[in-house]
Amino acid sequence: MLGRILRLTGRGLGDFIVHPFAHLLTLTAVAMVAFLAGFVLLTLHNVNLQLLKTRGQVEFQLYWAEGAKQDTVRSEWKTIRDMQALKEFKTFTPGDALVELAETLGESGDFSWLRDQNPLPYSALAAFEVPPDKQEKGWAAELLTELKSLPGVEKVHYAPTQMDLAQSWVALTRTVAWPVVGFLALVAALVVGNTIKLSLMTRRDEVEILSLVGARPWYIRWPLLTGGFMQGLVGSGAGLGLLFLAQNTLKDALNVPPFFIEVSFLPPEQCAALAGGVILVSLAASWVAVR
Amino acid sequence: MVELTRVSHTFGSQWALKDVSFKLEKGEFLFLTGHSGAGKSTLLKLLYGAIPLKRGRATVCGFDMNRLGRRKLPLLRRRVGVVFQDFKVLPERSVFDNVAMSLEVRGMARQHLERRVRAIVRAMGLEAKSYTPCQALSGGEQQRVAIARSMVAGPELILADEPTGNLDFDLTMHLMDIFKQFHNYGTSVIMATHSREVLDCVPGARKLHLENGRILEPEEAAATEAAEAEKKAC
Repeated sequence: MLGRILRLTGRGLGDFIVHPFAHLLTLTAVAMVAFLAGFVLLTLHNVNLQLLKTRGQVEFQLYWAEGAKQDTVRSEWKTIRDMQALKEFKTFTPGDALVELAETLGESGDFSWLRDQNPLPYSALAAFEVPPDKQEKGWAAELLTELKSLPGVEKVHYAPTQMDLAQSWVALTRTVAWPVVGFLALVAALVVGNTIKLSLMTRRDEVEILSLVGARPWYIRWPLLTGGFMQGLVGSGAGLGLLFLAQNTLKDALNVPPFFIEVSFLPPEQCAALAGGVILVSLAASWVAVR
Repeated sequence: MVELTRVSHTFGSQWALKDVSFKLEKGEFLFLTGHSGAGKSTLLKLLYGAIPLKRGRATVCGFDMNRLGRRKLPLLRRRVGVVFQDFKVLPERSVFDNVAMSLEVRGMARQHLERRVRAIVRAMGLEAKSYTPCQALSGGEQQRVAIARSMVAGPELILADEPTGNLDFDLTMHLMDIFKQFHNYGTSVIMATHSREVLDCVPGARKLHLENGRILEPEEAAATEAAEAEKKAC
């Protein structure tokens, strides 16, 4: 049985040599669809990243009590760093804060005379990303309470309107992204499915003859499924390869003033989903083609 | 071997077969004759399950065609060999591969398969071209490949739909000798033809004459044949 399956698999792969032109055309079509789908996903991914980066976060300014001990403050910084959804955390010792203040004020900001009697407290700027599953209003309030409850912390400032704006952006990107991804998946499935199905027309005679000599349906389908799997695998691989080239070319194209957007590649799970989707559609199309 | 009782088939509103009944015993040779469109090919298609039986009753090689599901169809086709006028061989594959196909689908061990394929290819006079792609063969040779493919598994019944329709007289006679040879070994044959020469090749064979989807009675068939012969003579 295993020998038969291996032989049939070999036959499915061997068909690439028997009908190279038809397979090359199909592969090109599958690769292009995978590339286009990937390109739309890449755009969505980067737009989403930018939106969340600039709008989908909420910032808290924390001030420790005057005269707080360095060890206590550092241990509380560690607690904050371990908090979920923390995106960015900038800490300032009184000395750092003084330097920062002096730099901000420019030439008029010479505070060297304050070095020995610095009135500034330990402080920090914590930026949290609004998690997609934490859209309820109470999330920021809970966070605020948690930060305020740290023993050495005296004051915590944050802008509630910033929180509302961040939540709105996250909700909007989710509302827009999923229908676009769904539509994209449908279009890609139709194009890849029909292309594979059309390519199998070249094997219609073989399917008919096999059926005439008493081949069981699985025996007829196996080489076709193998071929479909390979088309999907190689096609999506080539599509992702092209996408990687395109991303590399465009990587720094928008990384100039005033955009400062670095185009990043799709995360591995989205690459896997794209390749898996194309392979599944190719397999399904091969299955349907001989029905 | 084959038994049909009041089998009818329509394509849309057109009757392709109407109340066809006949019996074929094991080892019999039966000719289906009639003009193009008389229903010969439709009848053969019903017998190998290419079109579903909707009206009437039929059994072929022990299979009840009224209850033939998709799962049983391959089993029926392993017992029935089919030969067509247009050969239906895979042009890019070799003679050996085309013939071996019938045994491969049955999962026969490679060693046995090779022995059987070589034997039948030799019997068909194609030994020297065993590994030649079928597209490089003549029409007669391709038809011999098709016959070898349908015979190599030792079917109980052979259905042949105008198998010599595309061949010249000499090749026709040669192929009829091959069919007779297999018939002599006990295989039942149903052959659709409208060729006089083919009919004369097997004098002992039964003949069923189809016209507009109906089987004509022997007297009616004889009268039709006589009228045709007269028309030709004129």
